[in-house]
Order: sequence, then C-alpha cells, then structure tokens
Amino acid sequence: MQTPADTTIALLDTTAAQTAAVPVGSEAYMLAADKLPVVAAVMLVVWIGIVALLFTTERRLARVEQALDAAEDARADSVRS
Amino acid sequence: MDSLRLRPPGPLYRVFGVVVAVWLAVVIWLGVTGPVTQLPILEQTARNLYFHVPMWFVLYAGALVGAWHSGRLLATGRRIHDVRAEQAWLVSTVFGAVAMMTGIVWSRYTWYQGTGIWWNNDPRQSMVMVQLLIGGAYFILRGSVDEPRRRGRLAAVYALFATATMPFLTYVLPRRLASLHPGAEANPAFSEMDIAADMRWIFYASAAGFLLLGWWVYTLRVRSAAAAIRSVELADDAPAPVAIVT
Repeated sequence: MQTPADTTIALLDTTAAQTAAVPVGSEAYMLAADKLPVVAAVMLVVWIGIVALLFTTERRLARVEQALDAAEDARADSVRS
Repeated sequence: MDSLRLRPPGPLYRVFGVVVAVWLAVVIWLGVTGPVTQLPILEQTARNLYFHVPMWFVLYAGALVGAWHSGRLLATGRRIHDVRAEQAWLVSTVFGAVAMMTGIVWSRYTWYQGTGIWWNNDPRQSMVMVQLLIGGAYFILRGSVDEPRRRGRLAAVYALFATATMPFLTYVLPRRLASLHPGAEANPAFSEMDIAADMRWIFYASAAGFLLLGWWVYTLRVRSAAAAIRSVELADDAPAPVAIVT
C-alpha cells in the first residue's frame, strides 16, 4: 500500500515556498522588476531618517536664535540705561 | 558692527522643508523603480543619472550664490554677506565632492569595467577636480587670515575669481576634448538625443529637488554660522566678572 506524500518538508523548504506561491498583496508589487521596489523602500527609510534629523536640527537652531535675540536685546537695554 | 540677526523664518520655511522631503522621496522612488533605457555598458546604472548629475547642478548653483554674496560683501561691507558666501561655497564644494565620488564609482564599473581603472583623465572629471581644488583653496585662504573684515574681503575677491574660472574649466574646455560625458560632440548636453522621454521628467524633478535640498541645507548652515558668531560676540562683550576680594 502506498503512503501519502509527506508535505511537512515542503513547508520547511523555503525555496519551494518561494517558487510555489504566486505573490499576493504587497509582494505582487515589491517582488516585481528584479525586486527594485525593495531597494527604493530601503532608500526611503534612510531618507526619512536624514530628513527627521534636519527638521529637529532646525527646531533646535530656532530656539538658539530666540535665546540670542533675547540676550542681545537685554544687552542693548543695559547699555542704554 | 552691523548685526548678524536674521529675519526669523516664517511658517512657510517649514512647509518648504516638508515639500523638499516629499519631493525627493518621490524622486528616489521613481528613480530606483522607474523605467530606464537599457543601454549597453550602462544597463541599470543609467539610474545614476538621477542622483549623480543633480549634484553638479548644486555645485554650480552654490558657486553662483557664493559669488553673488561675495560681490554684495565688496559693495556693501555687510558681514551677513560674508557668512552667506562662505556657507554657499561650503555647500557647493561638498556637493561637488559627492558628484566627483559618485562619478568615479559609476565609471569604474561601467566604462572602465574589466580594466581596473578608477581614474582615466576624462576631461570633464579632471577639470572639475581642478575646479574643486580652486574652490578648496577658498577655505585655506579663509583659514590663514585672522582679522574678520580682511578675511571677508580677500575671500570675496578670490571667490569671484574662482567662479569666473568655472564655466571655462567645466563647460568650455571639456567640450573640446573626447569625453564619456554628453556634449563632447559639441552638441548641447541634455538635448532630446541624450535622455529618453521616460527618464527625462524624473531627471528634471530630481535636479529641481536636489537644488531645493541644497538651498535648505544652505539656509540652515547660514543660520547656524550667524548664531555662532553672535554667541561669541555676546560672550566677548560680557562685563568682566567682579573679583571677589576675601
């Protein structure tokens, strides 16, 4: 009597899983065109990080400028009085 | 001395930053995933057009802004023009160095593939290297003069000279010599022949986006440089601490 094929090994075999499944959802887009969208996504994350640093630096700089304005105004007042 | 206090940036300044960030995010996405003309030698590296060439545009734009403020400094003597000229030159030089390095990597694995050549005396590349050295000397000149007024005027005169050499070294001369850059056949670069229609608009968007990014970084650098000078002057003008006699 012939035993049914053991399918558990196929589930563990990632190569088989990748070739067998038809890409669905985000994979349908991300895996197309030699997976270039994956590269674009990684570059976007890097870019978002750089932009976040630029914005927080600008905020901090604005606070420093306000403090300098106040200090210069106080200096001018003390010289006048 | 004239004040270095800058007009505080309005809300539009932050909107501008968001626009630049989103704009370049779209450019990165389209540049990496969009269609490219599959040419021999270049193949997929044609995408580097979007990221290498705009660096040159920022180099030119930064030099022009630096030259403008150098001229304004000589005309008016206002210190803010010295700050702006120096930071414009800095942005210009950094983007120029990035352009140089990206160009070296790009050519090594395309035109010079299999030769082991990193540098082949391509006329435009060599001349831009000369231009970057001329630009680098600007900072050496600044570093060698201590008195701020004198330093500003000397640097401004030098900057005008260095900008005047730029079109000849990087535009006129390379056109007269065989080069792997477009335009060496004496045709205008970036004509309809050079960029496929699919790539043209991504390239234009990228050029605009990186120019705006260069401007954004430039304004941040100007503000921080002005703030640094102001804080030093505040500290210098502070009344001497009262000695406590015990």
